Amino acid sequence: MKIRTRRNNLLIEPPASATGDIAFNLIVFFLVCASIQPDGGRTQTLPRSEEIEQEQKLENIEIQLSRNVKTVTLNGDPVRTQELVPRLRKMLASKTKDEDRVVIVKSKPDTMYLHWIEVTGMIEDAGGIITIQTEEEREVRVD
Amino acid sequence: MKFARRTPKADVPSMAMGDIAFNLLIFFVILARAQDDSHLEWQPADAKEVEQAGVSRVSVLIDVDNKVYLNGQPIGIAQISARVSEMLGQSPAGERTVLLKVHKEVPALYFQPVIEAISEAGGDLVHILEERRE
Repeated sequence: MKIRTRRNNLLIEPPASATGDIAFNLIVFFLVCASIQPDGGRTQTLPRSEEIEQEQKLENIEIQLSRNVKTVTLNGDPVRTQELVPRLRKMLASKTKDEDRVVIVKSKPDTMYLHWIEVTGMIEDAGGIITIQTEEEREVRVD
Repeated sequence: MKFARRTPKADVPSMAMGDIAFNLLIFFVILARAQDDSHLEWQPADAKEVEQAGVSRVSVLIDVDNKVYLNGQPIGIAQISARVSEMLGQSPAGERTVLLKVHKEVPALYFQPVIEAISEAGGDLVHILEERRE
């Protein structure tokens, strides 16, 4: 004679109606996880415009950027972007005051952000303080 | 003969309470991040060293079409300084972070005035970049 024990009946499957809820919760969980990921970035301190005017009276290093990502103009001379850091370090080595370490960055209107961020990063690595200079357009009427 | 009328019970199943609470929690987390600009199309520039940008109330984005957005809403370059200044209010130093998200191919004609405007508004500028993997 076989005796049926209760133990066989203890295996209970999760209700199939809950799978929808579980799937939805999983989707939302991963969505939130993806959106909560913090952004990475770089802090940049730019001197105020009044300070820049004062500092420009001194002889500052000037870098001009254009669409060409391989070269920049350093105090009027074309320099390969890769050689910029050692050149700048050499030029800034003798300068101890903050106002002497200001590097003026001039960008042509078609300079790409990618190039600008790379060069400004290099200036900071070399110990320079970045200042942006924009060219103002003035209309002159000749009567 | 009297028959007792059956009153139908319509209780919320107590088993679902956990799910409901969890969903509500997530709903409010998403709402809290209302200043979302994830729908905008842009690709960050890459850099060697990138640090955590932290949290900020103000975020300026320039997308692939060179359009400027403040906290996900379109804005003109001329209005940025005043609006950012208004949003930062009297916040002390260290709490004046402004996140700048610029598409990597945007020309200086568009991003430079934005940087100047943020600086003019007294914001602490943080460029949002991607770490370069070599």
